[in-house]
Amino acid sequence: MNTLVSYGVAGALLLAVSAYSTAGGTDYGAGIWDLLAGRFRHTAEVRALIDHAMAPVWEANNVWLVFSAVICWTGFPLLYESVFLSLYPLFALALLALILRGAFFAFRKVASSSSSRLLASRVFGVSSLLAPFSFAAALGAIASGKVGVGGPVVPVWQACLDPLAIGFGVVALTATAFSGASFLVGDARRYRAGTDEGPDLVEYFRTRALVAAMALLAVSLVVLVLIAGESPAIFHGMVAGLGLPFAITAVLAVLAVAALMWRRVYRWYRVLTVVGVGSFVFAWGFGQVPYVLPGRLTIEQAAGAPAIEALLLVITVVALVLVVPSLLLLYTLDQRSALES
Amino acid sequence: MTPFDFLAASAPAALLPSRIQMAFTLAYHIILVPLGVAFPLLTVVMEGIGLRKNDPVALRLARRWSVVMAVQFAVGAVTGTILSFEFGILWPRMMGRFGDVFGIGFGIEGWAFFLEAIFIGIYLYGWKRLPPRVHYRLGWVLPPSGVLGAFGVIIANSWMNTPAGFQLGPDGRPINVDVIGAIFTPALGYEFWHLIVALYMTAGFMVASVYAVGWLRGRRDRYHRLGFTVPFTIGAVLAPIQWIIGDIATRAVFEGQPAKFAAMELTWTTQSHNPEWVGGVMRADGTVVLGLPIPSLDSLLAGFSPGTVVKGLSSFNPGDRPSVVDANFVHLAFDVMVGLGSIAVLLTLWYAVAWIRYRDLPRSKWFFRGAALAGVGSYIGIEAGWITTEVGRQPWIVYNLMRVTDAVNPVNPVYIWIMFGTLLVVYAVIAFFFVSLLLRLSARWRIDDEGRRDEIDLAPEESAPYGPRPV
Repeated sequence: MNTLVSYGVAGALLLAVSAYSTAGGTDYGAGIWDLLAGRFRHTAEVRALIDHAMAPVWEANNVWLVFSAVICWTGFPLLYESVFLSLYPLFALALLALILRGAFFAFRKVASSSSSRLLASRVFGVSSLLAPFSFAAALGAIASGKVGVGGPVVPVWQACLDPLAIGFGVVALTATAFSGASFLVGDARRYRAGTDEGPDLVEYFRTRALVAAMALLAVSLVVLVLIAGESPAIFHGMVAGLGLPFAITAVLAVLAVAALMWRRVYRWYRVLTVVGVGSFVFAWGFGQVPYVLPGRLTIEQAAGAPAIEALLLVITVVALVLVVPSLLLLYTLDQRSALES
Repeated sequence: MTPFDFLAASAPAALLPSRIQMAFTLAYHIILVPLGVAFPLLTVVMEGIGLRKNDPVALRLARRWSVVMAVQFAVGAVTGTILSFEFGILWPRMMGRFGDVFGIGFGIEGWAFFLEAIFIGIYLYGWKRLPPRVHYRLGWVLPPSGVLGAFGVIIANSWMNTPAGFQLGPDGRPINVDVIGAIFTPALGYEFWHLIVALYMTAGFMVASVYAVGWLRGRRDRYHRLGFTVPFTIGAVLAPIQWIIGDIATRAVFEGQPAKFAAMELTWTTQSHNPEWVGGVMRADGTVVLGLPIPSLDSLLAGFSPGTVVKGLSSFNPGDRPSVVDANFVHLAFDVMVGLGSIAVLLTLWYAVAWIRYRDLPRSKWFFRGAALAGVGSYIGIEAGWITTEVGRQPWIVYNLMRVTDAVNPVNPVYIWIMFGTLLVVYAVIAFFFVSLLLRLSARWRIDDEGRRDEIDLAPEESAPYGPRPV
């Protein structure tokens, strides 16, 4: 029974992490395209669209991050302690990026001179790269086995800069760029429906979604090879164990989005984007089962007090019953432009 | 024993910057809490008045308030996220040992916060497109989610002050956890009511103070009258209630956290007929200077009899109680809180007398000067109360179970100093943006009210960085 509850909490944690990777990741992706917009045509229009797309939901997305932390320390205190003792520089970096990003996103709206607006855009864009990279690098460092119980097994900097940490970070960057572009295609379509003026941003983001999808698959393949070298157990879990269905789903979903984009069929691509990015996280997570720290700490060993875990699970279920319909209402109103002027 | 004993060689080097960073980021976040939790109720009540009386002025106020509410909620979301990760970066050992029992409140808080974030988005962007009645009803989700979130945080904080609901296992970690006992610890009741009333009082006085300033500048229209009266009445009703709750809470601290109580009252020697020090500084030998002692009053307040024995700091092991420096901080903060709370009660009396006699707002400019300061005063009161409870728990992070020195991340302090320095700069930038944004909104709305509508082309919520629609 206790084991079952612990696995339930681990599932909730993985769900929160993947929800953040998809919902928050889409936000970060928009930030990345915002940064790159300066290098291409239609800079102003692209940035206006990104502002438009991000506004109503931007901090609801980041709440998933808080859940990931709370579920982690409440459900698996020992995991939380070990991860932070080993990887605090990555989290400090991610936090600074997170706060800079929020502040300068807001600042861009009120900046009156074009030079300060440019500065705000730069900071916003660069921190949109840094935050997902650092968070994903922490997951990569865990996967590499460099995080030991109660502290790192190698010097902290070495754990943070492990090839697998860097690899996960790069996967996260391409994944956020991919989901950002995919969702911006939808926003551009809605934006364009009202007016026929201006550049065709649908085509603009369609191309980018295609390129990012290919980059994501290529980078993932490289990282899979890295995993095979560094953490054979996880590799086994991902290609022959519980992670396999998710790995296959991830690849197929990303390919499907690419195919839809290629043929300009604008249906189902957003759902498939979420499924694809979420499945990458699940592929890694299920590949690690039963370990939270590969080879060192299992889900059962890391679990906190059983009574607390059971309560946490109950709270999570009750909250999901309340939050999911509310969130759907927000997204539906947003997507139908009912919240718009 | 030096005043700076936390710098001694035995303490981890990262302790000082870690404590300073935590104190700074928490103090900053606390500024955003009253409006985050309590502003929604003011706004929804104002919207209700507007709908019931078909009053466009009330609706305009509610709509503008919702913008301020949303912007500062967004800032609070970011500073709150920082805190949840600081627990891990700065105090990993505490999280590893007690994360489960400590964390359950945050499990509640996280979801309540999420619900509030979602509905603030719906509320803000629903002004234009949702039918007014539907919009109003959806708004009523906000106040209970805010209160539930605060309840979650207080579960965690009261657990740190009076930990309960478990036994310690052989490895020092909690076993045989009783969740009800771990949630409803002795301090939960008074901490919760003391905080909730403080938050609503502060939000009421803060919002009212904006219109009190306008009133003093001669803007005495219905807009300012309504904007002042509704929130100020909420604050005024709560001020005397808070006085009583504060008194009950202090007595509960006397019972349950005697070392903190000794620090609050600058008591060195255990004795009956203990004086109440108004002001005063304790020296290293335990004598108090520069204060006014009221004979036996502390014993009287604590146990309703001058013969009540109050435990002094000297009766605790020096390693188990607040240092003299800590005690001076705690006492000063406590006095400031009680003083400001008492002034708020006087302001309430003035307001009540004027209402009973004239059925109108007080006429004196001095009343409005007081009301204009009541907002900032309430914030100072909240910060002072937080210093009282947190510094008063030192040297413990979990009272009588784990010391702050044992919880801290044993890293090179340089890293923490760098992180703190960066946060300091970023937080200052955020404060600057936030304040300049509020001033800009206020200026824009005044242009709107003066009938120069053609100079602006945006609805209230569109002028916020929460997300104006590109034209």
